[in-house]
Amino acid sequence: MSIAIVGTGQTAHARRRTDVSQAGLAREAVVEALQDAGLTMDDIDSVVVASGPAMFGAVNQPEKWLVDALGARFKPVVRVTSGGGTGLAGALAAVNQIKGGAARRVLVVAYDKLSEGALQASISTLYDPFWGREFAVGIMGFSAAYWRARMDRLGHTQEAAAMVAVKNRRHALANPKAHVRKEVTVEEVLASRPLCWPIKVLDVPPISDGACAVILAADEDALAITDTPAWINGMAYYSEADNGADRSMLQSEPLQIAAARVYRDAGITNPFRQFDVAELQEPYTCFELSYYEGLGLCPAGGAADLVASGETAMGGSLPVNPSGGCMGANPIGATALIRLAEAAMQVTGKAGRHQVPGASLALVQAGGGWANLRGVAVVSSEKR
Amino acid sequence: MTTMATRIQMPYTLTPGEATGVFLAELGRRRLIGSRHGDRILVPAQDFDGSTGEPAEGFVELAPAGRLEAFTVTAQGVLGLVLVDGADVPFLHRIVGFAEADLTIGARVAAVWADEPTGSVLDLAGFGPAGDGPGFKPRIAPDGLAQPFEQVEYTMTLDYQHSYGHYYGTLFDAVRTDRRLRGVKCSQCRRTLLPPRARCDVCFAPTAEWVDVEAVGVVQACSVVHIEFIGQRLKPPYVYAELVLDGTSTRLIHMVGGIDPAEARTAVAPGSRVRAVWSDRRTGSLADIDYFELIPGEPS
Repeated sequence: MSIAIVGTGQTAHARRRTDVSQAGLAREAVVEALQDAGLTMDDIDSVVVASGPAMFGAVNQPEKWLVDALGARFKPVVRVTSGGGTGLAGALAAVNQIKGGAARRVLVVAYDKLSEGALQASISTLYDPFWGREFAVGIMGFSAAYWRARMDRLGHTQEAAAMVAVKNRRHALANPKAHVRKEVTVEEVLASRPLCWPIKVLDVPPISDGACAVILAADEDALAITDTPAWINGMAYYSEADNGADRSMLQSEPLQIAAARVYRDAGITNPFRQFDVAELQEPYTCFELSYYEGLGLCPAGGAADLVASGETAMGGSLPVNPSGGCMGANPIGATALIRLAEAAMQVTGKAGRHQVPGASLALVQAGGGWANLRGVAVVSSEKR
Repeated sequence: MTTMATRIQMPYTLTPGEATGVFLAELGRRRLIGSRHGDRILVPAQDFDGSTGEPAEGFVELAPAGRLEAFTVTAQGVLGLVLVDGADVPFLHRIVGFAEADLTIGARVAAVWADEPTGSVLDLAGFGPAGDGPGFKPRIAPDGLAQPFEQVEYTMTLDYQHSYGHYYGTLFDAVRTDRRLRGVKCSQCRRTLLPPRARCDVCFAPTAEWVDVEAVGVVQACSVVHIEFIGQRLKPPYVYAELVLDGTSTRLIHMVGGIDPAEARTAVAPGSRVRAVWSDRRTGSLADIDYFELIPGEPS
């Protein structure tokens, strides 16, 4: 069975959407995805709601609230949550529902309305209350610390990370859904205010309100809906023990495991040459460098050279984050599904001004937690 | 020690959406606003009809009176479902001013308004006893509608009592009384795990023996914290650090202090040797260590 994305939708992402509730925000993306697929809610067999920690929005079990706004009454509705990888984990749940025969057309809607809560304080509650929470700085202290370690061992310099910021913010200029559309220079990134050094303000994505929706169906169902399905040729999501012994954190092992699994399923043997485009979830600039290596786009220690080569910018041989990635908008629960939707748009030629010409094979990466939950997907115009 | 008390307190600015925003704003004008969905009327007004998912077709004012459909008596007062006259779905709210003997299903009720509106749903203080006075059918609100509230301030305060359990309990008893850190050895791979736990995450073998761990180790990773936030223990800039204590195989998250802030970026690096500076506090937590300091004469 081959499963495809047959419709996508996104809200206009923004720092603060005061005109809609959380449920109204999610609905906007769903309306657009249904229009894109030419379907109505009557055609949807099952709904997966994906959103970040309940503490972000102060509403527990928010999927019950979305039923009204989506018109999902009397349909199966479940919620999936997994930090920054939430949207991809939700899509994987939908894929498995279809594979298992439980549903034929599944709607995944992912959202977060981060303007409503205290972000880093909420993230600190992800830590063990006995072990680490009292000294946590959200996820920023951790992320900066291991970037600092990768500087020494893998040459992930501040300049290389700044190039990621410059590239992705430039890409976001062409994405009408991005809410931050402002160019920066390497010098500006390096001179920007330190938050948790080496992470500086311009290494950090915006805090966003936003939602994304994707509709999935298999084989003939997909072809009955659209002439241009985006086939998912591989998708996986793996974990590492949070406090596992001897973790160096220089590379994310679950990312490497997920990539190996998905590449095998999708027939990828040389990812840098084979992929036309990649959408990677880079909550800080340093992560994009790390993921180049974890995904095998370059050898360990090669990320700084890769970004400096310009090959991962628009016009290069493997543009990474033509949408602008998280630097354009980062509604955490939706971020990973946005990466998947953008990949689908690229391989079906629907990406508009940020289209990579002729793209037919796309790489997607997203994850949650502290390098311990990581997912990868391959999206293609060709059914495998 | 059996439990650790913690409090999570979070500030929010919630966005109610247009319909709820109008409903809340109009309570301050002592009017009940509902939403129209075909021939159905919902109050409080809703952006979307739960039966169809379609947006509301408009807003109507309802007479602030209705009928008690159900109620429950709690220590904090009476809660009831009120079917407002002309509405199709009952509305959960406070029921006030009733003698318990008069509380009956089917009782007529009318809105009781707060003396001074504060911008919350409690501008409608509740529904109290009412006669069969004249009302009006749902109507287009005269004089137009108030602008919807776009944001509502909210604070969530959550108190927890976390159980230490055997392993954390043993560790933190030793921390508090003896200033001693205690880990456990995996029965299979013989790694020392800190914090102690029942099973090794790698081998899944049971852990066997307790071992004392010296509060001395090496920085695995570190960053310099400049941002300020609620509950912070040191004044920024200071060093966030993930440490591996000598002989152990797992991380301890803490801070490195006692260094010149101007040199924080270079003074501490992966590989720096550090030791604990114990506090005068005896809380039985990692906060009993004020911070870790660089060990003079050792690699930094």
